Amino acid sequence: MTVSSTESPTQRPPLADPFPEGSVAAVEQAADGHTVLTVDRSHLLDVLRRLREKPELACDLLADVCGVDYPDREQRFDVVYHLGSLEHGHRFRVKVPLGEDDPVVPSAVGIWKAADWFEREAFDMFGIRFQGHPDLRRILTHEAFHGHPLRKDYDPSQRWLLTEKDTMAPRWATEDQPDDEHMDTVVLNLGPSHPATHGTLRTVVRLDGEHIVKAECEIGYLHRCFEKMSETHGWQQVIPYTDRLNYCSSMINGVGFALTVEKMLGIEAPPRAQVVRVILSELSRIMDHAVCLGANLVDLGALTNFWYFFQIREEIYGLLEKCAGGRLTVSYARIGGLAHDVPADFEDEVRKLLDSIPKFLDDVETLVTTNRIFRDRTEGVGVISGEEALAWGWTGPCLRASGIPYDVRKAHPYMGYENYDFEVPVATTGDTYARYLVRMEEMRQSLRIVRQALDNLPDGPVITDDHHVALPPKEKVYTEMESLIWHFKLIFEGIPVPAGEAYGFTEGANGELGYYVVSDGGGKPHRIKVRPPCFAIYQAFPKILEGLMIPDAIAILGSLNIIAGELDR
Amino acid sequence: MRQPDGSSSFLTTRVDAMLGWVRKNSLWPLPFGTACCAIEFMSVVSSHYDLSRFGAEVVRFSPRQADLMIVAGTITDKMAPVVKRIYEQMAEPRYVISMGACACTGGFYRAYHVVQGVDEFIPVDVYVPGCPPTPEALMHGILKLQDMIQNGETQHDRLKHGKPDTTATAG
Amino acid sequence: MKNVATVNVDRGPIPWTERIYLGPIVRGLGVTLRHFLRNVFGKRDVATIEWPEVKRQYSERLRGRHILTTKDDGSLRCVACYMCETACPANCITIVAEEDPEAPVEWEKRPLLYEIDLLRCVFCGFCVDACPKEAIIMSRQHEMAFSERSEAVVGIEELRQKGPIEDEDLGYRPYF
Repeated sequence: MTVSSTESPTQRPPLADPFPEGSVAAVEQAADGHTVLTVDRSHLLDVLRRLREKPELACDLLADVCGVDYPDREQRFDVVYHLGSLEHGHRFRVKVPLGEDDPVVPSAVGIWKAADWFEREAFDMFGIRFQGHPDLRRILTHEAFHGHPLRKDYDPSQRWLLTEKDTMAPRWATEDQPDDEHMDTVVLNLGPSHPATHGTLRTVVRLDGEHIVKAECEIGYLHRCFEKMSETHGWQQVIPYTDRLNYCSSMINGVGFALTVEKMLGIEAPPRAQVVRVILSELSRIMDHAVCLGANLVDLGALTNFWYFFQIREEIYGLLEKCAGGRLTVSYARIGGLAHDVPADFEDEVRKLLDSIPKFLDDVETLVTTNRIFRDRTEGVGVISGEEALAWGWTGPCLRASGIPYDVRKAHPYMGYENYDFEVPVATTGDTYARYLVRMEEMRQSLRIVRQALDNLPDGPVITDDHHVALPPKEKVYTEMESLIWHFKLIFEGIPVPAGEAYGFTEGANGELGYYVVSDGGGKPHRIKVRPPCFAIYQAFPKILEGLMIPDAIAILGSLNIIAGELDR
Repeated sequence: MRQPDGSSSFLTTRVDAMLGWVRKNSLWPLPFGTACCAIEFMSVVSSHYDLSRFGAEVVRFSPRQADLMIVAGTITDKMAPVVKRIYEQMAEPRYVISMGACACTGGFYRAYHVVQGVDEFIPVDVYVPGCPPTPEALMHGILKLQDMIQNGETQHDRLKHGKPDTTATAG
Repeated sequence: MKNVATVNVDRGPIPWTERIYLGPIVRGLGVTLRHFLRNVFGKRDVATIEWPEVKRQYSERLRGRHILTTKDDGSLRCVACYMCETACPANCITIVAEEDPEAPVEWEKRPLLYEIDLLRCVFCGFCVDACPKEAIIMSRQHEMAFSERSEAVVGIEELRQKGPIEDEDLGYRPYF
């Protein structure tokens, strides 16, 4: 399969009427490059199937399914499908308006497997029912929860208490044994507090001897209501929240959000800010891969590498602390640029990192890459084919380890990534070892990008001078009345983002990190939907596990790099 | 052994002091890490900060082998029964450090699915602010807990001597 | 349309040099031994910081505990404009304003109550960015621990700048 690279962010797809008469109510070219189709639910499956199967459309990636609530509209809800074609590089957004009294749409699980959890989430958050979904129940909130929290009439602080007797195992776990053979099967619960689940993941497996015959994941143990919180805060105040999505690489999240809102505002960050964002994003990617591989190797018993990887992280933390003032949650990106200029010794510090990081990578490579114990343990474990991975909505290093070279930085370049010379690491075997190799190589490629970016670091401001968006410089606020008024307006009223919507996507450390942002023209977002790469990846985990053993499950889970903050939001 | 006036005898005070000294220098932490703070906790145990210098590096994920629970990260309503159960499985004396804004108060997540402080259901000895706290801040919290253990000021001591529990607000 | 530049990282079947296991294990031991010897005998570039005796060099922008700055006469610079309270994503700042009797103009305000709940605070620095008077800045003081939640709600007296601003342990400020 080839992945196209285009100069413009998204290509305009050929729409030589591939849909039957009357099935699409409206077609619109949105400003973010997406083709927006409005479809009645009776034609939905037909349209989606054509989008997937027509060779000139070939939308093989279902990026996201989400709901949006417009309480003032006659048809209150929108169900929005974000589709992409890796081959043609175009993007579609399919919208289905639904009334409040009958929010039912047919499920798209039969077309893309990826729809499974995304539809469950839309059901949980909005109460939209997907007809034909195999297991439509709550996913992020708990069993004792009432109501649908992302509806606009739901009070953001209304909690429902869960007690231990309400928590439940999957239905099949408590069912009687199928009386197939003389051996019984055993149900085993992994997590949410388990050293290898890194926090908050829970997997229930049914074991036949040592082999897993059935598995199911339960998520939502870290559902901190990012999306509801972002609706109650101003645009700029969402930045600290985005830091805590994928907290291993917080810079990338903030940049992705800022880019999306900048797209809606029609502004661009100054060149210096763009380059600094690239440098810090790539260093964050290294940090993320470092903690992923470090933790994965610890789970496999290779503790030493964890120390080496954490030295890399500590050194990058030092740089982030110098720039932003925080180590992990940096809050450094702003809509319109960066919070501050980088310190004077930024270049020297980054060059020091460029020298020191490869040494640690070399050490780890020597210890692990050619080590037969590690290879025997990980090769052929957790294999997923490229087509299968894509059907589940996988992106990022995990997809590239299965042979599909889809990288948002190449396919839809942003922030000037088209100007950097780097290669996309690809492996073909799609197993745990391949994912390790891809991540190792990606760190080296990121260093390459950082080196090039540093050589071409332009001078100039780091935040736009549009005072509708960015706070005026402090010395002007202290002395000039006009700047003070702008400052005052921005703090109290927020950024006037024009009404409309945009889907912005960047290459997060785990894959395509998308923000679907809807504005109603006010100082607060109307809706922000994050397309977390982990979410799509983790939903395929139970299927990969079938037929494998518990130790394999640990090895695979580590290599998928599931970050709970991003998974549950 | 208690004197008629309620105070402890010389012998038991010495034994208490001795026990406090022993306990404070061999804390076995159970990192209940859920989110960002867990990553900073990893920094604390890794080479730059090296928690073993304070005798607390034996990180145990089994509550039965640990006496210090470090709640690192946001606790949601879905997770709350798990935290409570794990706390109850720990052997006494047991101590709790609540690390970071989310675990202490819910932080900036005043939201429908987030516990507004773990002291809603377990007693907390030390609160460490920060989002996430720097490794130094967490180690400072552990040193403070060590002092509290030595001086008999922890929630465990308060409960043992019948003093009212000052922080737990709900059962 | 061009194809993307890719690099294949597949390693193929295990060659016999790796299969016999000896070479990689010796090289691996070499790496750990090198680190060990260098830490014990060689250059003293041990990673561990001997905190609390030794402190690392903190950034000048480190976001720690807040400071309410004062004017030369010792009164607070804060004019109780509520901008920090509005900008705070955690809503951890509480301000109650009163009229300033010493001010030259009639409508000047000052804070009667200024409280920050340090346990709610996420140390994002938005209050510092929002302040039009440089009345709230942050220090590098980040080693804090409380044994009760009420201790963490700090008011004007705890937050007020203690001496000349140069003596404070300055962290995140409007300009550097």
